[in-house]
Amino acid sequence: MNDGWLALLQQALSLLFSLDPEVWSIIYVSFSVSFAALLITLIPSMVLGFVLAFAPFRGKWLITNLVQTLQSIPTVVIGLLVYLLLTRNGPLGDLRWLFTQEGMILGQMLICAPVLIAMSQAAFTSVDRRAWETSQTLGASWVRAVWTVCRELRMPLLLAIVAAFSRILTEVGCSMMVGGNILNITRNIPTAIALETSKGDFAQAIALGLVLLILALILNFALGSLRGKAMPRSH
Amino acid sequence: MTKVKLVARDLEMSFGSRRLFNAELLELRQGDVIYLQGDNGSGKSTLMKILAGLMPPTKGQIDALGFAKNKWWQRNPLLGKAVYLHQHPYLFDGTVEYNLTYGLNFSSETKAKAKQRIGQATEMAQLGSLLNARASNLSGGERQRLAIARAWILQPKLLMLDEPTSNMDKDSQALVLQMIQQLKQEGAGMLLSSHQNCALTAICEQQWHIENKQVLISHQQTHSHSAQGALYVIAN
Repeated sequence: MNDGWLALLQQALSLLFSLDPEVWSIIYVSFSVSFAALLITLIPSMVLGFVLAFAPFRGKWLITNLVQTLQSIPTVVIGLLVYLLLTRNGPLGDLRWLFTQEGMILGQMLICAPVLIAMSQAAFTSVDRRAWETSQTLGASWVRAVWTVCRELRMPLLLAIVAAFSRILTEVGCSMMVGGNILNITRNIPTAIALETSKGDFAQAIALGLVLLILALILNFALGSLRGKAMPRSH
Repeated sequence: MTKVKLVARDLEMSFGSRRLFNAELLELRQGDVIYLQGDNGSGKSTLMKILAGLMPPTKGQIDALGFAKNKWWQRNPLLGKAVYLHQHPYLFDGTVEYNLTYGLNFSSETKAKAKQRIGQATEMAQLGSLLNARASNLSGGERQRLAIARAWILQPKLLMLDEPTSNMDKDSQALVLQMIQQLKQEGAGMLLSSHQNCALTAICEQQWHIENKQVLISHQQTHSHSAQGALYVIAN
């Protein structure tokens, strides 16, 4: 049994280090789609998080709770929604985005945005009001004061980005439904792992799983080292 | 050179149905050193924040006179006119030097002048050995000195100091007093709040007193601890 595990691990590592084109195409699709979804969503979501934290307006409570709810919707349900939107007869059918990377990006944007909005809202809500006031009274413009507050909150905001990226990079449901798991086009790491495991080809599944594991380790250690430097605030 | 001033008329501040204070006419001119006195919770900090443009009053009008014209993007005409220092100063995450030079990013000071001012402030606040230290590691007195030095560097025309020497040891108090006296000599207008008389309030030439939800004004020196002055009501 142990020999079998070792052999699988060896095969997985050799697939990675021999730069197997199929494996690396899957990794490329995964990262390019998820990065695109994150980049498109990042700024608008943070702005909305900022507005929800600071602006008093009617319906704020409702929007906040809707965003919180959207965070917990299973990705397969979002996949179903995007599928229905993009299907030939759907409202966005003319875009012909079903089973394309664009469709996957759209789906991942819908998964990513609520996480970013909710976590950035929580971060902005926790900011010390004196940071904003000090910045402004020392002559900073509104934009510079916002930048200063974001700098003060860089740890929780980075955590929000990492959490959102992790969620979309590892989701299976939406990518499978909207992307269709087409090799070299829409097959990403999670859908490939699901497919290879169902076929019994564990080596490739383990190789791709290792990529996710290494990425998780890098991101968490990087955040951990940043967090280690941050000292608790005293008044 | 025209002296700048802040003029507040018919000011009223309430939180919900609770009225905090009101004042008919308040003037903070460049060169004035005013002692703002009042009990805890009487609204000293709120009044300062209102005058500094950090908080809108419930009613009333505040004009900033004699200042350069606002830029088109400056929505609040009061912001940046007077520097307000919190009772517990906020220091940005970073080094002492980062905090000290923060405001210079937005001033029109020449590099040479800024460098000279940084050197003077560092020496005066005795922060030279701490420039590369993290601001979060400073003691209470050092934090207050850094906050005042950060404002001092900018040569503000108007400065508001909220309980600047509270919870400070005598050495730090002496350093802060020296910096404030230097600002006074440079002609800055200052509004200092404190709930007790001290060496700092002794340099004030005028007194604002928040009493019975009204801001009262006195022009009497406050260096005697028993001196309350003949306060006269200007509000209501």
